[in-house]
Amino acid sequence: MIGMRPIGLQQGILRLAIGLCLLSAKSWAVPSFARQTGMTCAACHTVFPELTPFGREFKLNGYVLDNIKQITGIDIDSHQTLALNSIPPISMMVQISYTHTSTALPDSALPSALAKDGDVLFPQQASFFYAGKIANELGAFIQLTYDGVADHFGIDNTDIRYAHHLSFGGMDGNSHSMILGVTLNNNPTVQDVWNSTPAWGFPFAGSSVAPGPIAGTQIDGALAQSVAGLGVYVWVDDHWYAEVSGYSAAVVGGAHPLDGTQSHVAHGLAPYWRLTYEQRWDRNSLSVGTYGINIKTHPGNGTALQGPTDQYKDVAGDIQYQFIGEDHLVTVLATYIHENQTLNASLFDQFAANATNTLRTMKLSGEYSYQRRIGGSLGYFSTTGSNDTILYAIAPVVGSANGSPDSSGYIAELNYLPWLNTKLQLQYVGYDKFNGLRTNYDGSGRNASNNNTLFGLVWVNF
Amino acid sequence: MTTIVKAAMIRNAAAAVSAALLTVGIAQAADVSPAVMTAAQKAALQKTIETCSACHGISGRSVAPTFPNLAAQSAPYIELQLHAFKDQTRADPDAQAYMWGMASQLDDASITGLAAYFSKQSAAEGKSGNATLIAQGKQIFVEGVPGRQVPACASCHGAQAQGNGPFPRLAGQHAPYLLKQLLVIQSVLRTAPVMHGVIKDLTRDQMQAVVAYLESV
Repeated sequence: MIGMRPIGLQQGILRLAIGLCLLSAKSWAVPSFARQTGMTCAACHTVFPELTPFGREFKLNGYVLDNIKQITGIDIDSHQTLALNSIPPISMMVQISYTHTSTALPDSALPSALAKDGDVLFPQQASFFYAGKIANELGAFIQLTYDGVADHFGIDNTDIRYAHHLSFGGMDGNSHSMILGVTLNNNPTVQDVWNSTPAWGFPFAGSSVAPGPIAGTQIDGALAQSVAGLGVYVWVDDHWYAEVSGYSAAVVGGAHPLDGTQSHVAHGLAPYWRLTYEQRWDRNSLSVGTYGINIKTHPGNGTALQGPTDQYKDVAGDIQYQFIGEDHLVTVLATYIHENQTLNASLFDQFAANATNTLRTMKLSGEYSYQRRIGGSLGYFSTTGSNDTILYAIAPVVGSANGSPDSSGYIAELNYLPWLNTKLQLQYVGYDKFNGLRTNYDGSGRNASNNNTLFGLVWVNF
Repeated sequence: MTTIVKAAMIRNAAAAVSAALLTVGIAQAADVSPAVMTAAQKAALQKTIETCSACHGISGRSVAPTFPNLAAQSAPYIELQLHAFKDQTRADPDAQAYMWGMASQLDDASITGLAAYFSKQSAAEGKSGNATLIAQGKQIFVEGVPGRQVPACASCHGAQAQGNGPFPRLAGQHAPYLLKQLLVIQSVLRTAPVMHGVIKDLTRDQMQAVVAYLESV
């Protein structure tokens, strides 16, 4: 077993990286849309990046609503061949952050020394966007991001979609409304319009350098920018949303064609599904939904991308409530994800100790904002699951002394928006349990609370 | 000058403005009647109606009170407002936030077509509310507030608040929307020459009463 630990640790570090991704900044509102529509951020967002009902309609309609001059073309049959914004809907986002963990992390190279605490990232992240119309009924949200930790520039969340709006029924043919759409994206749930699903869920931004829990479900960010998905959706009468998509491997960077030097590579086509009902009344909206993915993967990481696979079946439920008043805005988000893992490949390759594992993730958050200017959030998160001494191997800071994926804690945030496109954020993440234990969770004397994190963020979009 | 005489003067002024605005509206509409729209223009108008419905609701009956009901609204009023959004002369906060952009690319044919479409939709039903407040509001709507030189709203907006040419239909409109309009007109964030004089001394309590009544009609 001891001989297996370095392999398990590699997996652990991979999981840590995934964990960090889960906690890091991930999703935004973009002034591109304001430039294209002529409307302020408040039309589509309560406080960015959370969407209002109109924001959801805008996205479901393919990001194409435009109120600027178009460059157009038609063919001899009067069919439109071009409808291009005369001013491209591009924009930029910069995040500058400060991270302080309750107890400094060990130095990466000097045994027994501590790394410098109080990490400033300038930037933590900087992104360029093309977000808006490409042609009639075709639009895109394309994000290119410079990551200040990785010192790397690459593709980020991307959703290209076609949407066709139909009206029917009644005397004038306008009693019912339906949108039929197609989405091509690189992150399951990035195409979703509710903030209760992972890609655009709470917390909307977090530290990319603080330690994060070792375990996370596949649908909860583990596949972001490593898969490509094509799906169809329907949105009926502003109530019902249904979508079916298929995801396949689309790993960015590294060896291509994909080979054994890659890790966690999707095998075949993974079905993704989503069903939601939304009810709106007065200034309120409530949605209740379910979503999930069934994905097979090859562990890679030094093993061939063939033979047995690991299979992850994620089934999730989510609820979102919004109240959008003139002065007071309230949002409540909740999701529960259950994952069944069948780890035939990882067991064979000695990346896991068990053939089957489970993970359960719960996230609950509430946000209040006064006049979209001053606000705060409180969130609770919890992941629990079966112990696996290889998958969640013992290691300083990132590992688990008892092979457990269990982590839980809370997030408290204060936000001040001097302008609608500028957010100053102070966030505190506190852990009740980290990688299985409250105290000495890593077997090297580190406690869960040592990872409590204070995070300050300057977040501008323009 | 007696209150009655003042009220009569306001009514006369309102009628004059009404006639002038109607003339403008008719002149704008004259050469772009929906009847002579091309198939492409009609398709574009249908697209625009679908866009409007995202906030103003299917058939112009909205859910959220931030966005006014447009169903059964007076066509000349809708036209005037869309032109005011387009040329940015209506500049209250929500106009800037939502409608300046939305109206910026509308041509005259679209504006006329939208006004015609929404004016023909069946009105939103009134909502019941606080009976005492509604009764107070009805009194203000029908009789005005003589002590504050506020004339009867019904004199311009119609006995049933059904609207009249450039004077909007108020019946069944969301109370929070109407209250907000009264406030931004009173503070001159929204320019409305006749209304500035009419409501300059209307108190917030009186506003709340009258909008409660109008929402219930």
